[in-house]
Amino acid sequence: MAIEVKTQTMEMAKSLRQVPQEEGYVPGHRTCQGCGPALVYKLVYKAAGLNSIFLGPTGCMYVANTSYLCAPFAGPWMHTQITNGGAVASGIEAAYQVLIRKGKYKGELPNIVVMAGDGGSIDIGLQAMSAMMYRGHDALFVMYDNESYANTGIQVSPTTPFGANTTFTPPGKAVPEGRVLFPKDAPQLVIGGHPAVHYVATASVAYPVDLINKVRKGLNYKGPSFVHLHAPCPKGWLFDASKTVSVAKLAIQTGMWVNYEWENGEYTYQHTPKEYKPVKEYMKDQYRFNHLTDAHFAKMQAFIDARLKAPGKPVAVPVQGPREQS
Amino acid sequence: MAKEVFYSGCAAAAYAAKDARVEVISSYPIRPYTGIMMELSKLVANGELEAEFVLGEGEHAQVSIAYGASAAGARAYTGSSGVGVTYAMECYSPAAGGRLPCQMAIADRALDPPGDFGSEHTDVMSARDQGWIMGWAESPQEVYDNTIMYYRIGEDHRILLPQFCCQDGYFVSHIPGKMQMEDQKAVDDFLPPYNHPHTLDPTKPINHGPQIFPDQGSAINVQRAVAFDDVEAVIEEVVTDYNKAFGRNYSPFVDEYMMDDAEICFFLQGGHARTARFAVNHLRKKGIKVGVARLRFMRPFPTQAVAESLSKVKAVGVIETNTSYGGVTRGGNIAPESRAACYNLDNRPIITSFMAGLGGEIVTLNEFYAMARVLSDSVKSGKANDSYWMNFEKEVLDTHS
Repeated sequence: MAIEVKTQTMEMAKSLRQVPQEEGYVPGHRTCQGCGPALVYKLVYKAAGLNSIFLGPTGCMYVANTSYLCAPFAGPWMHTQITNGGAVASGIEAAYQVLIRKGKYKGELPNIVVMAGDGGSIDIGLQAMSAMMYRGHDALFVMYDNESYANTGIQVSPTTPFGANTTFTPPGKAVPEGRVLFPKDAPQLVIGGHPAVHYVATASVAYPVDLINKVRKGLNYKGPSFVHLHAPCPKGWLFDASKTVSVAKLAIQTGMWVNYEWENGEYTYQHTPKEYKPVKEYMKDQYRFNHLTDAHFAKMQAFIDARLKAPGKPVAVPVQGPREQS
Repeated sequence: MAKEVFYSGCAAAAYAAKDARVEVISSYPIRPYTGIMMELSKLVANGELEAEFVLGEGEHAQVSIAYGASAAGARAYTGSSGVGVTYAMECYSPAAGGRLPCQMAIADRALDPPGDFGSEHTDVMSARDQGWIMGWAESPQEVYDNTIMYYRIGEDHRILLPQFCCQDGYFVSHIPGKMQMEDQKAVDDFLPPYNHPHTLDPTKPINHGPQIFPDQGSAINVQRAVAFDDVEAVIEEVVTDYNKAFGRNYSPFVDEYMMDDAEICFFLQGGHARTARFAVNHLRKKGIKVGVARLRFMRPFPTQAVAESLSKVKAVGVIETNTSYGGVTRGGNIAPESRAACYNLDNRPIITSFMAGLGGEIVTLNEFYAMARVLSDSVKSGKANDSYWMNFEKEVLDTHS
């Protein structure tokens, strides 16, 4: 006879005081100074708690976090390939469902969390992520976005902003802007095509309580959720390592990042400034944009202005693909 | 109660998986293995098997789901064919290196190009160095038996390795044969529930697969090698137990037919062995001393058993059914390994690759007769080519003689 699968219910935190002191992400990693992804990892682990299983697709949060016999996870954690975080999580979730039903595992379903970078989420990992979302596994997919393949030496990823200098998009005489394309919209990919998904959110390392609550809200759904986290990278974006949080805040103040929730079809927005600052203010302090001209900043401003008309929704943007530009 | 049934290799695999009480199944369609999943999906839908049937979005995901489930403490089952097997290539090493003993059924199929449904062993033979246990069955009965035996071998705590449980596409997967399905209680007694010593469990946290430095790599590799050293002994135990429990008569590694007085032999794996035995019956009537040695495991390669068996004859014709372009014999992969296995013998037999059964072509009786001619001639002359492409070289033209 099948035993009912009981899931955990995570309480919302009203302030930082209600955030547990207990850490799941503990010392033992070798991330860079000011690492945004490491900061969000700490917060996500606090949100999920120790009755969790974390999956680490290859990326910074695998390579810089774990060294043999010295990994910073207080709970069960497993490496996955950069390609298959969603699929391995699906297998683990399926296993727990059947083991609980058969009475072989006693206890509530652990929170199953994939902590994938931008590449492991919506580039090489897109297929596995999408299928996990589509099949309706009770697991959370967290995309910590540092806007590049940082671990391998800052190569361009689908979320790298227009104009960024990466080691695959160096600016030069023929390509003065460096990065030509505009970023892929991760939450829209999930919202747009996965009927079993009820909750998609974006959050920023600049607003930790909001981030924790969004992770918990996602975990509380008996199904797949997706949380997209803005995680500035001092090494890749080339800004002072003490400025990670202020860079993240400035992203929100300029509209380069928008915090929102999509819950059962309804959008709500958080931390919207009364008036957006020009994007140049955000870009000028990051050396990856140092080569850009005012014409480039204007191009980025036009893109952001169009997106801010309806963040998280499909809107027309003034972008010409590289084949249209000749 | 055990019962006699008339099943294809696909149905045999599915019912064996059911009798093994698999808990997580990951599927994706590709011919010819698909039949296994079609059968299992019905068993799950009808409530006859308590399992999660996960619709993988491709073979890469199938294997990922299976090893994830295995890491979480469930007995996991998946399968594929042809380019599906090679599409999942990235995931084989993490499953084996993670010591996650899931099972993958293979009904083999030729690789592209061009598209070809036929049986050929090249697909999963390409994965033979990924650290999985691997072997071929020659009949639906053996598919059923191997499926159950492989789980016990792979899940043994001395081993903890995933398994490719292979059968020839179509020749075995789609041709029904009379076979015995065993009593569930007897299978339960033979195969204890899955009990991995290190699962992803929040009450007993482990970290699985952290990054290492290059100078730590060999120490991890040697543990995998040591595990493989133990596999042969475990296979012998398990096959002996299975024979006893269910009245079978498998030899663990090399299945011999008329080898004791043979001068030449056919050496191969999988379903073509049945045609080979038929050919041997005919050739024996003509006074040709020929036998068949059928390899039951490709990984671990049973070096000693192969050397013992092949040392009985003067010339060995390896029916490759797989390709290794530019390889040692310019043929397939089995002849080079067999030659290496015989290297230390005082009287090494001549070992040659016969490139036959490629693209799913039937290896005909006439082809076996032509091979026997070449082998007999080589015994007389003391030499043979490294490889012969059947029907394309003058020595091995099918003359319908």
